[in-house]
Amino acid sequence: MEAGTAVQQPLPRLTAGSAAAVARILLPFLSALALGAVVLWLSGRDALHVYWLLAQHSLGDRTSLANTLAQTTPVLLTGLATAFAFRAGVFNIGVEGSLYLGAFAAAWLGFTFVHLAGPLLIAAALAFAGLAGALFALAPAVLKTRLDVDEVVTTLMFNFIAIGLTSYLVNGPYLATGTANSMSPLVANQGSLPILAAPSQLTIGILIALGTTILYWLVFARTTAGYELRTVGQTRRFAAASGISTARSIMIAFLGSGFIGGIAGGIQILGVNHRFIDHFSPGYGFTGIAVALLGRNTALGCLLAALFFGALANGGATVQLFTNIPLELINVLQGTVMIFAVVELGRARRGA
Amino acid sequence: MNQVSATLSSAVALGTPLVLAAMGGLVNKRGGIVNIGLEGKMLTGAFVAVLVAWKVGDPWLATLCAGWAGAAVAVPFTLVITRLNANEIIVGLGFNVLVAGLIGYLLPVAFGVYGSLNPSNLPGLPELTIPLLDRVPVLKALSGQTILTYLALASVPATAWFLSSTTAGIRLRAAGENLAAARSAGIDPLGWRDTSTVIAGLFAGLAGAQLSIGIVNLFTVGMTAGRGYIALAAFYFGAARPWPTAAAAFLFALVDAIQVRLPGNDLPPQVGDMLPYVAVLAALITVAIARKRRERLLGAL
Repeated sequence: MEAGTAVQQPLPRLTAGSAAAVARILLPFLSALALGAVVLWLSGRDALHVYWLLAQHSLGDRTSLANTLAQTTPVLLTGLATAFAFRAGVFNIGVEGSLYLGAFAAAWLGFTFVHLAGPLLIAAALAFAGLAGALFALAPAVLKTRLDVDEVVTTLMFNFIAIGLTSYLVNGPYLATGTANSMSPLVANQGSLPILAAPSQLTIGILIALGTTILYWLVFARTTAGYELRTVGQTRRFAAASGISTARSIMIAFLGSGFIGGIAGGIQILGVNHRFIDHFSPGYGFTGIAVALLGRNTALGCLLAALFFGALANGGATVQLFTNIPLELINVLQGTVMIFAVVELGRARRGA
Repeated sequence: MNQVSATLSSAVALGTPLVLAAMGGLVNKRGGIVNIGLEGKMLTGAFVAVLVAWKVGDPWLATLCAGWAGAAVAVPFTLVITRLNANEIIVGLGFNVLVAGLIGYLLPVAFGVYGSLNPSNLPGLPELTIPLLDRVPVLKALSGQTILTYLALASVPATAWFLSSTTAGIRLRAAGENLAAARSAGIDPLGWRDTSTVIAGLFAGLAGAQLSIGIVNLFTVGMTAGRGYIALAAFYFGAARPWPTAAAAFLFALVDAIQVRLPGNDLPPQVGDMLPYVAVLAALITVAIARKRRERLLGAL
């Protein structure tokens, strides 16, 4: 399967003749809102009113905006992690696994080296989280480059292994004494990410995520490595013919993707949970796939898409509280976005 | 019943949905589509089965409806892939999120409950006792199962026969192997791909019914618990061949049953949960190494 070409859909240039390109960007977004509206309408709700409430509770005032940014943080990072691989034609759907291992690594460092000074502890924990995430991506990367094993199935399977492994660790050797099941000990106090805007949950994690976004843009727009990754993503043969090592690029794509995914997990632990909790992720890695697809693997696109999902997650939780509209509506929107983001309208059918 | 036969019996019950879903996924794979959406189709079947059994009171009709529902949701799923050229992996992942979202939304809105539906006096599928067989050691695990277990057992040779010996099966495989070649042979390849997905939906829907009205008598949003992915692991492990796939599915179920049933085993449950995924990785790696070695030998000639 030439997976690379299927997910490699760079943002088209917006010229007068590119109405189709605009449609392709808006299609997943609008079809999700439309399907959501149908679901709401069928259950006797005024869809426009619900969407208005969602917007209000996610963007309406300073605290809700800050909470939206807090929810944006993990999915922006998992989105960039996914996009980093997709851009190079590497179909890594294992960011969820990197996130889990990164989260556990950060928590472990945080509850083990409790005497380190705050900034040092945070930096070390996040670096360790990134390394754990990258190390996790190394296995499918080696399988892909050395043995030509399709990464779709391996990364999907490795996700379950990462979740199972961390679950074992936190229920076995690292179970906190005197707590309910499935939790690690708490990370040392000074290891918590500083809050940016109390009373919200917004921490400096968002700054790290935004910094990563800029770095992502720089790598692809300004560096040779980024150019090589993109070229490998577009056509492997052309890349090989122009002297680019495709194996090296694929390796970089995996490791970079895993590293960012690991950081995403580390930030979630240090910023929100303050300990590792079994099955803590509501699917941040999979939302990341939706973010990368909706954002067409570009830095700005991922930022906007992550804001959209962050707003939905935050607004949805509040709306559920006040109006009894189940939070699951957000999954309906997210699933639809994923499906329609890969639809190719008016394209010639691919041969197989 | 002693521990061993209770464990075997439970393995057969738990293996039933895996074998059914894996057979469906296998047919779909041979038809050219890797179906990541088995999980969502299974959840649809499980939900519809409980709904019909509860409202109509007939578990047989409920089972039929679960199969139909799985097939019905497979139609838009496959059309997006074959007609709109959407990437099958992403569509599968998105479909699973969408289905779980829709059902999770519907439960509180329509029934006023969150996460699970547990009506009292829900008629489940009866356990059928096979005369004589229920007295044979070991094999008696096959007695006292639901109709779906026997359907799952029958589906293995039926799938093998269908794929190898019927015109439809050969066309389906041709469509899966090469679109252009199939088309030039006068076969409508996309139509056959869609057919294979609908078959997968039907099987996954039935698998869902076994979960919700076969094994336990209720529906929960998390009840598929990754079984769609374990079915995927099974047909990858079995290289999309019916007998090895069914064997893998049963083996995964056996490990699951041993964990639940046998007290005092030192195996942490998470290790058993990881087994299907480790097994399929090991299988993929073994196949890849063998292929490399063959290529190297050919290169040396």
